[in-house]
Formats: sequence, structure tokens, C-alpha cells
Amino acid sequence: MQINPDFFVSRAFAQSGKTLTFLSAENITGNWDPTAHTTLSQKNIEGFVMGFLTRTPMKLDKPDEVVYELATDIKLLDPNRLQIKLREGVVFHDGKPFKAEDVKATFEYGARADRPAQWYPGPTETLKIDTPDDYTVIVDTSKGGYPAHLFMFLAAFLPMMSAKDIAAGPGGVLSQRLNGTGPLKFVEQRGNSTVMVANEGYFKGKPAIAGINFNFVGDSTTRMLSLMNGQASIVERLEPEQVDTVKANANIHINRVVSVENKYLWFRCSKPPFNDPRIRLAACHAINRDVILEVLGSAGHASSNFVSPVKFGYFDLPNYPKFDPAKCQALLAEAGFPKGKGLPPLEYITSVGFYPKTKEYGEVLTAMLNEQGFNVSLTVLEPAAWNERLYHRPGGGPGHMVDCGWSTGSPEPDLILRTHFHSTSHRICGIEDAAIDASLDKERSAPTLEERKKILQTETMPLIASKMPALSLFTSVMIHAMHKDYAGLFIYPDGSMDASKSAA
Amino acid sequence: MFTLNFLIRRLTQGVVIIGLVSLLIFTLLRVVPGDPVRLMAGGMAPEALIEKIAKDMGLRDPIIVQFGRYMGSVLQGDLGQSFVRPANGAATGGANFNDTTRGERAKVLTLILEALPMTLQLAAVTLAIALLFSAVVGIAGGLNPSGWPDKLAFYISSVFISLPNFWLGIVLTLLLSVKLGWLPAIGYHGFAYTILPAVVLAVEMSPVLIRTLVGAVSSQMTEPYVSVGRVRGLGRTRIIANHVMRNASVPLLNLLGIQFSSLLGGVIIVEYIFDYPGLGLLTINAVLQRDFPLIQGIAIVTSAIFVVINIIVDLVATTIDPRLDY
Repeated sequence: MQINPDFFVSRAFAQSGKTLTFLSAENITGNWDPTAHTTLSQKNIEGFVMGFLTRTPMKLDKPDEVVYELATDIKLLDPNRLQIKLREGVVFHDGKPFKAEDVKATFEYGARADRPAQWYPGPTETLKIDTPDDYTVIVDTSKGGYPAHLFMFLAAFLPMMSAKDIAAGPGGVLSQRLNGTGPLKFVEQRGNSTVMVANEGYFKGKPAIAGINFNFVGDSTTRMLSLMNGQASIVERLEPEQVDTVKANANIHINRVVSVENKYLWFRCSKPPFNDPRIRLAACHAINRDVILEVLGSAGHASSNFVSPVKFGYFDLPNYPKFDPAKCQALLAEAGFPKGKGLPPLEYITSVGFYPKTKEYGEVLTAMLNEQGFNVSLTVLEPAAWNERLYHRPGGGPGHMVDCGWSTGSPEPDLILRTHFHSTSHRICGIEDAAIDASLDKERSAPTLEERKKILQTETMPLIASKMPALSLFTSVMIHAMHKDYAGLFIYPDGSMDASKSAA
Repeated sequence: MFTLNFLIRRLTQGVVIIGLVSLLIFTLLRVVPGDPVRLMAGGMAPEALIEKIAKDMGLRDPIIVQFGRYMGSVLQGDLGQSFVRPANGAATGGANFNDTTRGERAKVLTLILEALPMTLQLAAVTLAIALLFSAVVGIAGGLNPSGWPDKLAFYISSVFISLPNFWLGIVLTLLLSVKLGWLPAIGYHGFAYTILPAVVLAVEMSPVLIRTLVGAVSSQMTEPYVSVGRVRGLGRTRIIANHVMRNASVPLLNLLGIQFSSLLGGVIIVEYIFDYPGLGLLTINAVLQRDFPLIQGIAIVTSAIFVVINIIVDLVATTIDPRLDY
């Protein structure tokens, strides 16, 4: 979670002086190095402790808005050179002053090929980072051949680490604790509780709260009860029914926000029958997404693209497949499977207990596909078993279709598009398509953001929609519940908080 | 001498039982769906890496070979390391096995020894509440067969046994913690956090204790020694306290051994609902994460506890009634 630190120094919260208890639905990893994971709950903790060059509110009406934090200015000197001016007077929690050397070290370390998170556009060798003075950084991507503007959205996603910590190596202090410039200091991990205290030296002023206890509590009912009896301050990932239960409670405030997460039906594109794009399209035309949204209730938001509406480049794709049984049948016949005859039995794998309503809408989706002649059986697994079967493997991976969401706390669309649809990555669907690769390379290499958006919307996204390696079913709605004292807290799609704006 | 023979015999049986339970759990864990190596290595890890890790860890050896190796370590007091938890004990997920910076993994024995006292405390409070409540209701019912106390005991037992513990836990939390604010409910920050889950478990446990007590007391009250006692001039209170209760306690004691064992199973749901950091919560998270060494360790420790409790119960029962021969 990334937070807008203003909240912690705002007057709205200044009277309480309490320790905030946040109950998380997801556990963390065993490694505090921010480049070692892609786990959302741990990103949330980093949002409290670490500093970021910028923050991106990612609102529906302004998806590419940027708010400066550790940076005071970011501008393109030319398509391959980005200049970042840094805020002066900021210090890390261990007392080290924040300088250009830290940005350089963070970028170079995070881009290393052996870092598991792999968010950077290219490996360290493709970067040249200069620090003309202590508060200026110039990122040069000439060697990599990709544009430097890719670092603009990533700047809001990548926590700034201390050069001193990075110098100790991947096995050093980085893995043992968080050391940032954020409003909260990391103290320790006590079992399932991450303990943080206020950073008195925070550059925006001493936080009003005493600290945050960030606890993993796996059961959603337990989280809700804990909020209702006052033990928890904020809980996340409410089920729609829980919202109905607590909305009449005057002590509890509900916050809904369209999130950065889309939920997908991933096709195993490297094995029959979904190695044929006509069968994938036929399946997409068999599914009525309006019905899926009805099942989801307040937990889903309609969208017709592969990225969330709060991400850069989103628009409603005109050729995004709609429910059309006639088209489905025509495609099946064209592919040699009239009315589905001759198609093998298909397995659709989903999870229960992590995302809302997956089993419920999975059953509906299975019935829709079967109605059009597919022979689909639904396999519902608890998260560990589902996760074990989730990703692509040589030969296609388990099952033929998998349900999964993908959430990245940045407006950067390539964190979805390139991650999933480029042949070099294709994490779940396994698609290898030279035309899609070329289009993804082209949009990434656009010299300006404006040109990139144009390529995305007129070429890349329509091309992917014509081949449908995955069907994005809807965009998730993030539902938080909090004690009324926190009602002014605005939670952004990536979890950012800002008390200066009223909760929508 | 009897006690020594008894202990040697029962402990030997206990070791065999623990060995069989361990083998069963060990085998089952390896045939259920879900490759722990893929969970450890991360879903995106290539097949070659998965196989290499599995081979390095000996997870592709025949099950019996793996079991022999594992038990060899167990006999030296080493229950192994958790597949997924770091040394700080947090429930974790999502990291990559080939990430060399990952923190040291927690020792299974350490995790169990941290959680076990919490569960034993919960079990002790549960037993105290259940015994107290069952004694009041059950003895009254047994002393008044077919009377209203007997009927009340029957109705209470029927209602209690029909209540699912997960439902009762939620309802009691809503009532006693959310609405009335009398008790804390979620997590553990002091002894008060034990009371509500203990009440839920005690409600689950009480029906059997009540029915056993009603049956045992009413049956003892029809025994000739009660009539003889009256003829000899002993007061009713003395007969009940000194003789009836002593004899009625034998079936209760045997039952307690079984109930305590089932209590260790019952805590899984209750600890999860109350986020109570005991063996139950540890177990459910271990199962959800396919943390084989932790599941095996918990199985061995709990089966050892079952064995020890049953030995103690039988020993106490033979002390109360020397005619018993276990």
C-alpha cells in the first residue's frame, strides 16, 4: 500500500495519537527487500515506511496524475534521458541523508536480472545513471533502446532504498528490515504483526499517530468483527454482503474505489484447443459479463480492456468481445468444431477464499460456456493449490482456463500488457505471437507519452483484443471499512491514503 | 511395580502409535494435490529448477526413504524447518525459492513450542469452564432422574450439541464483544482474549460431559451401597460427595481423555475465527500453504500429547478404581 503521507500529519487525525491497527487479507513474504517480491500486502507496508519519488492517485477521471514526493521535478531532456530533481533535507530512518546516490543505487539494484520482482523496463546494463550533484539524477536509456519516460510511472511504484543498505548486498540488511524515508518507521515483525512507529523526523512533520500495527488476519469475518468491536481501525477486502451488514453502523465508514486490479479468464494459449484464437474468441462471445457483474454486486466495475480504467491508456475497446451466441457458434464452426462437437473436455481452475465470489461467478461462467457447446468442468481450489497450478509451464500448464486477478500499483499499462502478452514473459496464458510482441515493443519505444497512448489505443490493445489470450471480466472494486474517525481518509486504487480529500 | 510396568507398556504402545500416525500423515501429504516445491519456488519457476530443488531436498525419493530420513532427524529432536515461514514466525507467501536473499526459515519445533502454550492455556480454560458448568447441570440432573433438572440437562445438551462452533463464535463475538463490549475477541493481547474462544469450545464439549454425568450419577444412585449407606446412617451429602461422585468420576475421567484429544482438533476452527495464535491457527495456515514439515511436526506433537493424556487418564482411573486393568 502506498499512502499519501499528508494523512498522517493532518489535523483531522491530530487529536487521536493512537496506534492504528490495519488488518490485511494477505500474508507477507519472508524477505523485506522490496525487489524480492510482488506481494500486495508487503507493498502496502512499504507504502507506510518507504519514500517514493512520486505518488500516483490513479483516479478514474485523471488516471495519469502525478504528485511529487521525494522528487520535486521530473522532465524528459530527450526521449532517452530523464532528469529527476530531488527534495533536499530528507533523511532515511537510520539517519542517512537522502541523496541522488540512493536513487542511482535503487534503480541499478532493482534493474538487476536476478531481482525477482523485475519491474524495470530493462536490465542494469541497459541503464546509465548520472548524478551531476547530490540532488539531480539523469537516467539514460540509450543503451537499452527504450524510452526514458518509462521511469516516470515507475517512479511512483518503486520504493527508494538507501545506497548504504544496497551496498551490503542482497543478503544484507535489505532482507532483514525496511529502512525508508516514509512517515512510519519499521520496528519489527512479531509473528503475523508488522510493527511500525511514527517517524518523528519525517520531512512533512511529525505524524499524528503513534504507529501502525499491520496484521495478517486470513478470515474476512474475523477482520470485520475486529473492526466492529473496536480492536481494528481499518480492514480490507470486504465481501459485498459484509458491506450490507455494516453500512447501517454509525461507527463504521465504508470506502469503495475502482482498483488497479482486473480479473481475468486466462486461456492456456500454448495447447489445444485455445492455441487457436478463434476458439478463444468463441469462448469470449459465449460469456455474458453483465451477468458476472450481477453476481459480484458492489465488488465489480464494468470495463472493456485488459487494464483497469485507472491505468494509463485505458479506453473502452470497440472490438472487445461482447456476449454474442451467434458469433460464438460461427467461430466454433469455422474452427472445425460446430456447436462445440469434437472439442476436448476442458478444465477451468479457480480459487476460493481470496478474491470475492470466484466460485459463484465461476459456476455461472462454466454454465455459459457449456450452453454454447463447450465441455467445461470447474475445479475450485483453495489458494495454495490454485497458486501452484496458476502459471504457464512448458506445454501449457494445468487445465485450459484459469481465473486470476492482476494488480500493480502504478498507472503503467505494460506491467499488465507486457508481463502477460509478450512472448518473453507470458506468465499465465503462455501466448507467443510475433505480431503482439512487435506491437508491444513499438508502444514501449514511443518517444513521448502522447504517442505511446495513441499506439496503445489504436494498435496494441485492439490487436490483443482480436486474439484474446485472456478475457478481462471486470475491474475489482476495493472495499475498505474503517472506524468513523478515519472517514476522511481517501484510499486510492493502489491503497494510497489522503485525508485532505473526502472519501467518495 | 504395577505403575512402572504400566508406564513401560503404554509408552511402548504410544511410540508405535506415534510412528504409525507419522507415517500416515507423511504419506497422505505426499499424495494430495499440490507440489510444495512449486509453492516454495514460486509459480513462475521453470520445471528444471523445480526438479532440481525437489531432488536436492530428497522429495523425489520413495516415500519410505523420505520417511526414514525424516524420522531419523525427529529422533534427534529435529523436526526440520518450515518450507515457507521465516525465522520471525510470520505466515508468509509469494517469495521465490531461488531468491538467495530470503531470510532464514523458522524451525518447526520453535514454531510449535511458541503456539502450544497458547493452545494448552485455551484448552485448560475450556476444560475448567466445561467441567464447572457440566458438573452443576449434570450432577443435578443425575440426582433427579426424570425431574426438571434432568430435563433441563437434556435440553441444554441438545441445544449445545446443535450449535456449530464457527457460528457460535461469531454470534458470541457480536454479542459479548461488539454489542456489550465485555470481552475482547480477536487475536491475543492478554488472558482475557482466551475467555471467549474457551466459552465456545466449552459449549461444544459440555453436552457429552453433561450426559455422561447424568447417566453415571443416576446409575450410581441406584447401586446397593447407596441404600446401605443410608441404613448405616450416612447423610445424603456425604454419600454423594464421598462415594457416588468418586465412582461416577471414572467414566467422566475416561471421557475427558477423549474430549481433550478432540479439543485439540476443535481448536483449529475456533482459533482461526478468533485469530488466536495457537496450534490450531498454525495448523490451518500450514495446511493452506502446504507447509509439509510444519504439518508433520504438529501431527507428531499432537499425537504424542494424545498418547500422554490417555496414559495419565488411565493411570488416574486405576488409582481411583483399582479393579480397572489397562
